[in-house]
Amino acid sequence: MFKSAPSARLPALAVMAALSSPAFAEQTVTMWSHWPDEVAKRTFVEERVKDFEGANKECKVKLQFIQKADLYTQAKTSVRTGQAPDIFWLEPDEIAFAQNGYLEPLDGIVNMANLEDFAKRSWTYNGKVYGLPVEAYTVELYYNRELLKKAGVALPASMQLDQAGFTEMVKKAVAAGITPFATGVSDRPYPGAYFLQEMLLRKLGPDDYKALLTGQLSFKDPRVADVMTWVKQLVDAGAYSKSFSTLKLGESHYYFHTNPGALMFPIASWYTGRAFVPPDKGGQPKDFPLGIMQYPAPTGAKCPECKTLAVGGSYVMYSRGKNKECAGKLLNSMATVENGNKWMQGVLLQTGVRTDPAKIQSIYAPYFRELQERNAQAKYFIGTPLHYMAGKCADAFSQVLNRAFPSGQMSVGDAAGQMDAACKA
Amino acid sequence: MKGVDTRTAAWPTLMVFLLPALAVYAAFTAYPVFRTFYNSFFNIADLDTARYVGLDHFRALAGDSTFRASVVNTMIWSFVAPIIDVGTGLLLALCLYAGVPFARFFRVAWFTPVLLSYVVVGIMWLWIYNYDWGVVNATLRATGLGALAHSWLGDTHTALAALMVTHAWKWAGFNMVVCLAAMHSLPSEVLEAAELDNCGWAAKLFHVVIPLLRPTLLNLYILAFIGKMKVFDLVFIMTDGGPLWATETVSTYVYKRAFNWNTFDLGYPSAIAVLWFLVVIAFVALLTWLFRQKDRLEF
Repeated sequence: MFKSAPSARLPALAVMAALSSPAFAEQTVTMWSHWPDEVAKRTFVEERVKDFEGANKECKVKLQFIQKADLYTQAKTSVRTGQAPDIFWLEPDEIAFAQNGYLEPLDGIVNMANLEDFAKRSWTYNGKVYGLPVEAYTVELYYNRELLKKAGVALPASMQLDQAGFTEMVKKAVAAGITPFATGVSDRPYPGAYFLQEMLLRKLGPDDYKALLTGQLSFKDPRVADVMTWVKQLVDAGAYSKSFSTLKLGESHYYFHTNPGALMFPIASWYTGRAFVPPDKGGQPKDFPLGIMQYPAPTGAKCPECKTLAVGGSYVMYSRGKNKECAGKLLNSMATVENGNKWMQGVLLQTGVRTDPAKIQSIYAPYFRELQERNAQAKYFIGTPLHYMAGKCADAFSQVLNRAFPSGQMSVGDAAGQMDAACKA
Repeated sequence: MKGVDTRTAAWPTLMVFLLPALAVYAAFTAYPVFRTFYNSFFNIADLDTARYVGLDHFRALAGDSTFRASVVNTMIWSFVAPIIDVGTGLLLALCLYAGVPFARFFRVAWFTPVLLSYVVVGIMWLWIYNYDWGVVNATLRATGLGALAHSWLGDTHTALAALMVTHAWKWAGFNMVVCLAAMHSLPSEVLEAAELDNCGWAAKLFHVVIPLLRPTLLNLYILAFIGKMKVFDLVFIMTDGGPLWATETVSTYVYKRAFNWNTFDLGYPSAIAVLWFLVVIAFVALLTWLFRQKDRLEF
């Protein structure tokens, strides 16, 4: 994933050169970004914009940071009326923007050789790439080393427990008065399903897992039922906190690392965005004993080394934008190996832009080494469930697998039935 | 000026005064309503490329389980919550009318929630209902009733009721003020006659005061009913329709279908909005007709 990039040249950059002629009128690019409360990411974007404006005097950028839900609502309204910003933030599960013709293909505008292949695939529709994949992530299982000791559990050298060992760990944590998982789903449609989805991926292997997500395989398949039955046992044993339904994503971070503290935190590797900031800004305490373990291998797992890798926050270009020249130049200026390195160094998170890990230095180097170790043998499945689901199926995923099932309010049969009713092809 | 009606004016003069208001009304009320009706017969991913689908959206609604859940939840809100709102408001008004100590303070304190925005109220009550440290569960634990501590908003059985309590807390003050004003305008001779007849406070309340307040209470009920049929803000902030659609209302579902689902069609949510618009009108007409059998409503 972190391969060095070829020094690629893009023929279409000639277009950019032509556009930088003295006759080129000044343009003000409007840009909407998520991450208003994630300092590292926000800083990265602001610096790239500042660099771009410094190098391109004819282009100004009006950058706004907006919470994701509000940004999506505003974007969906404004693209229809021709009033969307020139560049805005999206994730690949919103590929419908491209399907409806609201996005400009970036082929020929952005140097595609500087993007990772998996990231390009995530944003490809009808053979064209529509997003600049700034953020990429793996779904990790963070844990508190001190609380693990307190619960009396030792991890094997592989850092991966089997089903029985993991169940035992959850029960020991509950017995010690420690909440096993710090998940909260109040403001997001997916974190409650992280653990279940990773277990299903390992149990089924990538092909059948994809079939499950696309409605080709039933949630009543015996292998799926096995995993759901096991997860239900963990839920009934008290794996999730009682405030699971009302905790927000940001609050669940705080719950994990500060108050009251939890043993594990199944979350994407963008954990760093909120946690690696000063404690007075909501970050994890200094010297917090953070560890990363492998997700357990369910009994009979077809692919215990499988793991979800996905593209997250990306920037797209509005097809009806009035400042496409400068917007294109801005996106292309962000898609460089140097900027990929800066992202990883500053945000400590994977990216869909190519990088050169040898040049990355950071005070969080030990964390980063551990993250790389956990991913060393990983076989990646590209995309989260919501990247494959749409409409009613995605809504059922959010309500059933993300909320009701992990909070213990549904039986395995009911949950599988609801998912099949909404998703089965 | 014999023979001249001073209330009449020439059409041009009338239009000068009416046009600005009519233009604003047409642009911001009439057009959106008509456009929503129009949209409901189309698949609209883009305003320029709408595809006519006739009554397909309305037929699809019949088989939409989420829509059904949202209708049931909204109906429960609309019929039950106004009783809680108006009942609480009436009780508070009676307290003030009876002259409880610190009545001035309580009048302000009880009315204050009306002035708060739904966002503030929603966040406050999210904290109040918090399982770990919320006031409700903390009180239960402190009084030895810890076994009753509950994830009030996270349980499908209690989430809707929890929201209705929050809504009643916000609006009880408004109902209180209206009831109190009505009480102060009750005919004093009737109340004095009841006292002369040695009527106890309970008998006076149930046989004199409440019957006299009946038109006011019915007005409040219908106003609350209309508001609840459109309830959105509090649900959106506190539960987002969950868990398991237990608090989904028609308004939140329309919003989700229009803006949250990763689909672009505006036609289907428009069809829901149109259908619900007609349902609300029908219910208001029905309630008005029912209540008019005995009382003249004033709204």
